[in-house]
Amino acid sequence: MKQIISLQVNGQSFEVAVRPGATLLDVLRDELRLTGTKRGCELGDCGACTVLLDGRAVNSCLTLALEADARQVTTIEGLADGAALHPIQQSFVEAGAIQCGFCTPGMVVRAAALLAEHPEPTAEEIKQALTGNLCRCTGYTKIVEAVRRAAAYMQGKQPEVSELAPQKSGADLCVVGKRLPKPDAPSKATGRATYTDDITLPNMIYGKLLLSRVPHANIKSIDTSKAAALAGVHVVLTGADVPDVTYGTSPARYDETVLAKDKVRYVGDVVAAVAAVDEETCYRALDLIDVEYEELPAVFDAHEAMKDGAPRLFTDKYGNNINTRVDHHFGDIKQGFAEADYVKEATFVGNRVYQNPIEPHCAIAEWDHEGKVTLYTSTQVVHYVHHQLSRVLGVPLGKIRAVMYNTGGGFGAKAATNPLEVVSILLARRAGRPVKMRFNRAEMYLYGRGRHKQYIDLKIGVKRDGTITAVKQQAVLEGGAYSSFGVVTCYYAGSMIPTLYKIPNYKYDGYRVNTNLPPCGAMRGHGCPHPRFAFESLLSMIADDIGIDPIDMRLKNAMEPETRTCNDLVIHSCEFKACLEAVREKSGWDDKRGKLPPGRGIGIGCGGFVSGAGYPIYRSRFPHSNAVIRVEEDGSKAVLFTGEADIGQGSNTVLAQVAAEAMGVTLDRVDVVSADSDTTPLGFGAYSSRVTLMGGNACKMAGDEVKRQVLTVAAELLEVGEDELDAKANEVFVKGDSRRAIPWHEAATTFFSRHGPLVGKGHYSPPRGLGGKYKGAAVGTSPAYSFSAAVCEVEVDMETGKVKVLNFWDAHDCGTAVNPMALEGQVQGAVVMGLSEALLENEVFDEDGRILNADLHNYLLATSMDSPSIDSSIVDSYEPEGPFGAKEVGEGATLPVLGAIANAVADATGARICDLPLTPERVLREIKRDDA
Amino acid sequence: MYISDFRYHRPQTLAEAVALLETSRDGVLLAGGTDLLVDLKQGKRFHEDVISLTRIEELHSIELHGDSLVIGAAVTHNQLIHSPLIRQSCFAISEAAATIGTEQIRNTATVGGNLCTAASCADTAPILIALEARVELIGGRGRRTLALANLFVDHRRTALEKCEILSRIIVPVPPAGTGAAFEKFGLRQAANISVASVAVMVRVVDQRCERASFVMGAVAPTPRISGKAAGLVEGRPVSQVSEGSELLERVARAVADDAAPLDDIRGSAAFRREVTATLARRAFEKALSRAVTGVAEGQAGR
Repeated sequence: MKQIISLQVNGQSFEVAVRPGATLLDVLRDELRLTGTKRGCELGDCGACTVLLDGRAVNSCLTLALEADARQVTTIEGLADGAALHPIQQSFVEAGAIQCGFCTPGMVVRAAALLAEHPEPTAEEIKQALTGNLCRCTGYTKIVEAVRRAAAYMQGKQPEVSELAPQKSGADLCVVGKRLPKPDAPSKATGRATYTDDITLPNMIYGKLLLSRVPHANIKSIDTSKAAALAGVHVVLTGADVPDVTYGTSPARYDETVLAKDKVRYVGDVVAAVAAVDEETCYRALDLIDVEYEELPAVFDAHEAMKDGAPRLFTDKYGNNINTRVDHHFGDIKQGFAEADYVKEATFVGNRVYQNPIEPHCAIAEWDHEGKVTLYTSTQVVHYVHHQLSRVLGVPLGKIRAVMYNTGGGFGAKAATNPLEVVSILLARRAGRPVKMRFNRAEMYLYGRGRHKQYIDLKIGVKRDGTITAVKQQAVLEGGAYSSFGVVTCYYAGSMIPTLYKIPNYKYDGYRVNTNLPPCGAMRGHGCPHPRFAFESLLSMIADDIGIDPIDMRLKNAMEPETRTCNDLVIHSCEFKACLEAVREKSGWDDKRGKLPPGRGIGIGCGGFVSGAGYPIYRSRFPHSNAVIRVEEDGSKAVLFTGEADIGQGSNTVLAQVAAEAMGVTLDRVDVVSADSDTTPLGFGAYSSRVTLMGGNACKMAGDEVKRQVLTVAAELLEVGEDELDAKANEVFVKGDSRRAIPWHEAATTFFSRHGPLVGKGHYSPPRGLGGKYKGAAVGTSPAYSFSAAVCEVEVDMETGKVKVLNFWDAHDCGTAVNPMALEGQVQGAVVMGLSEALLENEVFDEDGRILNADLHNYLLATSMDSPSIDSSIVDSYEPEGPFGAKEVGEGATLPVLGAIANAVADATGARICDLPLTPERVLREIKRDDA
Repeated sequence: MYISDFRYHRPQTLAEAVALLETSRDGVLLAGGTDLLVDLKQGKRFHEDVISLTRIEELHSIELHGDSLVIGAAVTHNQLIHSPLIRQSCFAISEAAATIGTEQIRNTATVGGNLCTAASCADTAPILIALEARVELIGGRGRRTLALANLFVDHRRTALEKCEILSRIIVPVPPAGTGAAFEKFGLRQAANISVASVAVMVRVVDQRCERASFVMGAVAPTPRISGKAAGLVEGRPVSQVSEGSELLERVARAVADDAAPLDDIRGSAAFRREVTATLARRAFEKALSRAVTGVAEGQAGR
């Protein structure tokens, strides 16, 4: 029974009829359509739904709308004064504090309450104040800077601005290499940016999935009659109603069905689906579906699963549940170890980590009357979704439009086609109405696709001087119930090891094993962070044993430019040594190493990653990235169409900067339309750190073509030869005589008048023939590789084992940084995500395979208070294969973090922890063991 | 995730609230709602009647009645933190409240809710018990008071009868020479659920510990008092229990011995016990210093 309440929202009065159970969040979003307030965890842990209630910050998800009756509510929409941004919003934009933007409204609203109470807070007070607002992208550093900047503005002062020296490779450029605020940041700061769940279509209904409650069973029968009879239910689907096609990520391992056909393989497996007038009715209907299971024995441990006689998830394939086996040997490790003066081996165990983007997955499907479906979805990879839908539905690409508006973070969790994307389409077709489906936080964990837990046996042999002679690694990856990206993960876990140090002899044995747990997939640094943690740990252990400084040891073996690795990967640019030297100096390494008081320690870790996978996920000859630029007829604007997806990493900005530089215009002259299969040309999307290099190259090529055409016409207008002209900053001028110039838009509009549309197109494919000839040689190939080094300083409470990370110094070789401010945000975010993984995160299951911490209350993410001071520097580097010399940063920045922390903890305590995460309990146990 | 429908009531007085409880089959009280709404959303409980306490004036005040601090049950944690009365007379209560949740939670969640949810990890309970707080319960048959320590029956179970409401918390203002402190251990740097916590109260008269109380949180189904530790401290000169003393180590160990922790997702029983000893020692040192100097650091600021 609804009750009428009077809500005072942003100074306006609303009479609203609400269900007693409706939260303030529900009413703001669904009734008042104030969608700037975000639905993140729905249980009061993430703060994305923060609003002010009588001036105080509260979680609107834990406030009944009825309780807000007659009280003053302020939402993000109430802060800006008309079109003018609030100083806090302005500061978030200027400071680069916005990435995916999903946490931003809550963050800004919380900051507004803080500054109203404390006009001049210290950085520490700001961090303290923001602990209730989780951010997964930025690492909080720039958010704290933004709040300080806002405080200055609100006091009528000008904020301090620190200018950093530009890179050499960016010195002559106008747009690339500049610290420019993202053009889409203001709409994210004001809550106007549209995410999938903010979309409501006319006549739209909702869908939900029935998930298995048992870990392993044959489905004997499903009775949906009671559910179908429930008032408000439109459609009920089971496995019998969906195509028989299997799908997944790697074509060799398509092993998922849209809904379970005859078997469930984990708690959370998708059994049935319902569409109804609202989510509540969906849930009630799901409770009415009777599934009769014949339970089967289940296995949850990777090593148990590999044993003979263990329960098998697939009886027709994957013997001993080994879903992928890698057996690589390069050089001769027998000889390599024989040449070594010192050999050490150790076992390392990773953790099961979930990406936890703050935005939950959401998809909306709508069919038209010509048999075409439009899917709005929160995805990293529009094209792969498009491709899978075409396969599963059995229709050509042209019958499907896949669109992404804004995605609130991904980190790999949204890098595959998910059941919401397929099922919403099937439900919508049957219902004849648009259907919205979304995961809640618990369902996100059950869908999974997080980091594989790896068990690593690592052995390294070195000469007396620290030169590596041989490396042997075995990794067992616990993969959960289905393949997802896992084949690739298993290869990556081995293939990237020889890219950072020169390793003459290398053997890698990989086993990816199915268990009755949520499937694992690709998470930031795909397959590499645990092996890298192991390698960096063992390298430092060896350095200590043989009495060499750990940084010297790394310099001794560091990768050099123009090297072919033992596993046939080709490295072009490489300034790894410069990274090591930079962090050594900035951190004060030589004064601190071994000289800090007990409980304080310093450690080094390194990393690097591909700048885009050398080969596509499914076999195709399409260029990996494509771009079209269409210039307005008056020349005032160029619209860049790209299939890549900006999921918060800032690719729309970076690609626009590249295109602007190529065309010779300023950034404000470029608009971006991205990630829409109907309007934008194919791009493989946001995975494998590929967009800057690959998307950038395509955009540069398109921009070059536009510029060429503009120069042709300008040459006619200025009566000079075309090759005497250049264009920069919205001017076309004669080289060496910049007084002879015409505005860029004049040349462009003249072009249109004379020749019709001014359009440029570009495409990029990686060089042909990358990699060796052996099985699996494709994984790890890339046009270019990034390199990084990080030093970490920690303080450990020797009586509780709790680690506090104080400082991080990171130096990155990312080629030319297209936007150094955005790049710092990526690095800072990666440091905090890595720190969170290293110290806090781990999925925990009970003995029946049920996850015990599928929330943000028991699964802990780093808060603003956990975030250390982070110094991020970029070394001079130029990558010939990248646009204006650029390569990747997003994933590579995660890789040094885990090892750096473990090494710092070892330095602080003398205790070496080889299991992740480094919980206080583990650290304390090792401290005590050392004492004993 | 959704909340099943219920009848919503918003009484203006405690008497009305009690009457509503009496007529409802399964009525539940809603204060801040940060625990209740989570349970309702997760389908862990259902109620036909939800009775909001937000409009009952008297539950929101913090007052000094003679020698007692009287805290309304619907006072939020942030009110506890910022109340000048509490900061001056019982600073450790503010200190404990400040360790709870996040700003958003502290603006919403109430002290009465924290106590009545009776989670073993409730952070206001140990310090209030250490300060010998009593609670006032109002029911159809009138008022009664109870030592707060006796409110807790088990994890998430209290001595409240079906139609009773916890209305106020009564804390005797500690006489001069009393120091109290709360130490909590959580896994990250903020927004922590207690893995273990210890509250200590010590009263020093003529350089001698006249009274002491040690109360643990999160290491037993209910807040747990360590009588053994108090026994070791009471009657001892301050010099014997100061920092680094052998007796202090024994006291810390005694507290840990009285814990009855379980293994759970946040830590093993053995680890909890280990940490409890450390927290006990730290809390005691802090409380003793406050008793001796009469100042709690941070008391003046905010």
